[in-house]
Amino acid sequence: MNPKVAKLVFGARILLFAFLLSVPSQAQDAGATVSGAITDASGAAVPNAKISIKNVSGGQSTETQSDSSGHYNATDLAAGVYEIAVSAEGYSTNILKVTVAVGASQTADVKLAGVLSLQDLGISSGEAQGSPTDQARLNKRSHMLMLHQRLGLIAAVPLIATVATSFGAGGRSTSTADRWAHLALGSATGDLYFTSAYFAIFAPKIPGTHSRGQIRVHKALAWIHGPGMILTPILGAIAFDQKSKGEKVHGIASAHGAVAIVTAAAYGAAIISVSFKF
Amino acid sequence: MKTKITLALSLLLFPTLAHADSQWTLEESTLTYHVSHALKQTEGVSHAAKGKGVCHAGQCDFLIAVPVKSFDSGDSNRDLHMLQVTRGGQFPLITVRVQLPEYAVPVATIEVDLDVQFAGQTKDYKQIAFQRAEKGSDTVITGTIPLTLSDFRIDPPTLLALPVKNEVPVRVEMKWRPEK
Repeated sequence: MNPKVAKLVFGARILLFAFLLSVPSQAQDAGATVSGAITDASGAAVPNAKISIKNVSGGQSTETQSDSSGHYNATDLAAGVYEIAVSAEGYSTNILKVTVAVGASQTADVKLAGVLSLQDLGISSGEAQGSPTDQARLNKRSHMLMLHQRLGLIAAVPLIATVATSFGAGGRSTSTADRWAHLALGSATGDLYFTSAYFAIFAPKIPGTHSRGQIRVHKALAWIHGPGMILTPILGAIAFDQKSKGEKVHGIASAHGAVAIVTAAAYGAAIISVSFKF
Repeated sequence: MKTKITLALSLLLFPTLAHADSQWTLEESTLTYHVSHALKQTEGVSHAAKGKGVCHAGQCDFLIAVPVKSFDSGDSNRDLHMLQVTRGGQFPLITVRVQLPEYAVPVATIEVDLDVQFAGQTKDYKQIAFQRAEKGSDTVITGTIPLTLSDFRIDPPTLLALPVKNEVPVRVEMKWRPEK
């Protein structure tokens, strides 16, 4: 026989021999059993607990479940060190290690501790549970304030235009067309303003919350531009009437311009005060 | 050599420590969320967290709960908006549960798996590192939870039509006291 072939045959025989030896050895190693009872802190049985048994050397692993009396049984295990992880709903996972001898029946009882609950933290179920009604109130509030914000920003456009046309409407060389344009823009501003204000005023209040931060400035400024938005068109109507009669604007109507400027300035400041927030 | 001796001693002591029941109470806490936007950065702070930890049979279970509405960003309007977008009316608490083996507690850097419930959703954050330091008899834990809005199906709020970033990291500083 060729010496190379002879070497190969010899090697193959050794491998075969080693394999044949290993088969009965493994069969002999298997057959060990791990069993036990899963109980809670009071000693009561924990049924349906999940038991994962894993050989720490990276070999065999198996899973089983505790029965209605809390018992489990894992059979046909090879000898070795096993990590047993026991988990169950409402309990903290417990992990322990056991050493299993060849063919032995090993008992590993496991006690599970209950997981902490919110009640353990002193939080009542009332505090822990919200309500769809509360969420609906928050949603409605956010929705109404979003409309308030959008309409408020839109109202700024005719407001600026109203201020711009005021120079043609109230100066010495005025025209009827300028006055009408000023009146129309002012009316549009007023309509948008009060619609926007409606959404802010009637947005649901959230109990237990107090205004903090920039919103306080925004609300405080409303006490200036709110009355201003009522007073300005009244004074404007008087001034319009006086101008239409060919008279010089006089009396209380002469305050129309000043009131309008203060109102517009307060309105602009109110927008800026909340513009840089999420 | 020194390390080996320490390790050997730890292994010898471990069975004793593992089976000694112990409890922890959250004494003080500062939780800070950080929201980023192209135009602005915002932070909200809460000191209202409650927490407890129980170690039994070598296994520790920690539970921390904080009301969503307790976060203060300095602007009540923004806080109420945050409460709305995070569905805080229906789900008023954020809870964080941590389960870890007791031997993993007394180390300088603790890596834990966090089970976070927020806005009606649950998300597991794996191997989050927290720094641990002793302060008298108390243990101070600091770290950051890499929370994202999408993890909890929260629509990002917008400013000038631009949404805030999805990442809202929560910085955690907690002082735990062992119960006697």
